[in-house]
Amino acid sequence: MSLAIETKNLTKTYKARGGKSINVVNDLDLQVKSGEIFGFLGPNGAGKTTTIKILLGIIYPSAGTASVLGRDPGDTEVHKRISYLPEKPYYYEHMTGRELMLYYASLFGIRDAALCDKLLERVNLSNDKNRPISQYSKGMQQRVGLAQSLLNNPELIFLDEPTGGLDPIAHIEVRDLILQFREEGKTVFISSHELSDIERICDRVAIINKGEIVQQGSLDVLLAGGSTEVRAESVSDSLASTLREKGGFTMSYSSGVLLAEIPDTVNQNEIIDTLRSGKANVVSVIPRRRRLEDLFIESVKDDNVAKGRKLFNMVDKGDQEEKV
Amino acid sequence: MNVILSIAKTTVGEAIRRRVLLVILLIGVLFLVIAPGLQTLSARQNFAVLTSFALGIIQLTSAVIAIVLTVYMIPNEIERRTIYTILSKPVQRWQFILGKYFGAIAALAMMMALMSVAFFAVFYIVQPEARSQIGNIAKGPMMFFVQMSLLAAVAMLFSTFVAPIVNMFLSGGVYLVGTLFNAVFQTISENDQLPGLVKGAAGVIYTVVPNFGQFNISNPLINPGTEIKGETLFFVQLAGYAILYITVALIIAVIVFDRREV
Ligand SMILES: Nc1ncnc2c1ncn2[C@@H]1O[C@H](COP(=O)(O)OP(=O)(O)O)[C@@H](O)[C@H]1O
Ligand SMILES: [Mg+2]
Repeated sequence: MSLAIETKNLTKTYKARGGKSINVVNDLDLQVKSGEIFGFLGPNGAGKTTTIKILLGIIYPSAGTASVLGRDPGDTEVHKRISYLPEKPYYYEHMTGRELMLYYASLFGIRDAALCDKLLERVNLSNDKNRPISQYSKGMQQRVGLAQSLLNNPELIFLDEPTGGLDPIAHIEVRDLILQFREEGKTVFISSHELSDIERICDRVAIINKGEIVQQGSLDVLLAGGSTEVRAESVSDSLASTLREKGGFTMSYSSGVLLAEIPDTVNQNEIIDTLRSGKANVVSVIPRRRRLEDLFIESVKDDNVAKGRKLFNMVDKGDQEEKV
Repeated sequence: MNVILSIAKTTVGEAIRRRVLLVILLIGVLFLVIAPGLQTLSARQNFAVLTSFALGIIQLTSAVIAIVLTVYMIPNEIERRTIYTILSKPVQRWQFILGKYFGAIAALAMMMALMSVAFFAVFYIVQPEARSQIGNIAKGPMMFFVQMSLLAAVAMLFSTFVAPIVNMFLSGGVYLVGTLFNAVFQTISENDQLPGLVKGAAGVIYTVVPNFGQFNISNPLINPGTEIKGETLFFVQLAGYAILYITVALIIAVIVFDRREV
């Protein structure tokens, strides 16, 4: 599968006050495949926006390389095929939504008012397109931002915190629009710390903390290996206490019903076998995916940065196996 | 080309809505309108006093507008992140700079035209016997426009590497030196009695700082007896001088901005 974005050892160093240099982006290896929705996750200040700016050719890396659609970032040919919605965007407030669209279209060399109208319709702004943007709500501004990001029918879209600061309704509207991008076969690169969005929208993610990638892989693989919930009925008291003595997992037991939450590190089959041979009735075995939130918190804890490098390699191998 | 025009158009749209600029413009127009009233205080209410006062107002107001307009143009785009949306599109940085510059001088032209019209209207009313002079006097604001275009290019160049407030003093300083002291530096650079270092430094200042003063043609305009010798050639030379300096300033601006991280 071809890569839409690839970075190798990408590093961005800024001189902090006092002459000390800090690596805001440190040795970043990213692989984003064509056609996927890629989540770029990290706490505030992790280096997400900096990375996106490098990928757009707005700033330049201090070390390492980046390629976007197989070419240098910043290449005008690349810019014809990508689009970008900045974090907390501001638009020329004296313009109406429609004027803004016409302006941005002209920067692509597109003179097509019908296209602008169609895109405004698509983001549900037809009725407001002749109002000045200064009167738009945040959600409306974000929708006009998404509309402008579609002007050149891009292959690759960069969205920097597209749902940041939106109310729940606006949030859902924006999320649904992004999901439509996938159906159109576009590659979408989303930076965010809104985990629920990422979990719902993205195929693969990278988690970045203090400029370093601590996790990268498909969500299915990253979140697999959580635990398994086993529910059994007609469990005798003695059987229940046998299991409790085994330990290594959490369980609740009352009046013959046993509910066990067994982490993947424990041999689940053995427990199920024990239940069955003890004449209990196993009614359900449900694998529970780990929550992205847990993974995220675990990944960005300070002491995990170094360890994460190892973890990252491991995950990537798992990823490859899955694809084979 | 279309890209540059689009950016210029948007820049004009923004500039003519900036309150600071409108306030400065309003003050300028106000002075132009009350100018004849102030004059009654002076003994000689005549054509020359009115014209030189009005041209002075137009020059001062335009210079302030040119500086305030230009120094914030690029920093504002960066601060509001609108520049990212632009530069992530197939827009080259030199196109962005040129679009901004042409937008700035177009807005400046509009504001200066407004002031000139205000002045001519007043002149028409209070100087009925000199109405035929208006066409000639109009050359004054026109040359000021060339001067301000040059000032805007200088301010734009500085705005690619210094903060707006610093830039205001810097551009204002360059304008003052170029308007008032250019001749002084020229004299120093040609005085053989001075040490070489002083001469050299004065020569550098004289050469690098544009000679803004030469665009001020108020004197011949207010003294109807004096004519500008070889007028057409004189204007062509001034325009050529301005275009040369503007081109150099913008080329340096593009080179600096190309490397700059925004
Ligand atoms: N131009 C700059 N000079 C110095 N430090 C910067 C600059 N830009 C960003 N940073 C720092 O880099 C870090 C990462 O910033 P950013 O990429 O914006 O993070 P994120 O988008 O993940 O919140 C922050 O600590 C920020 O202060
Ligand atoms: Mg950010």
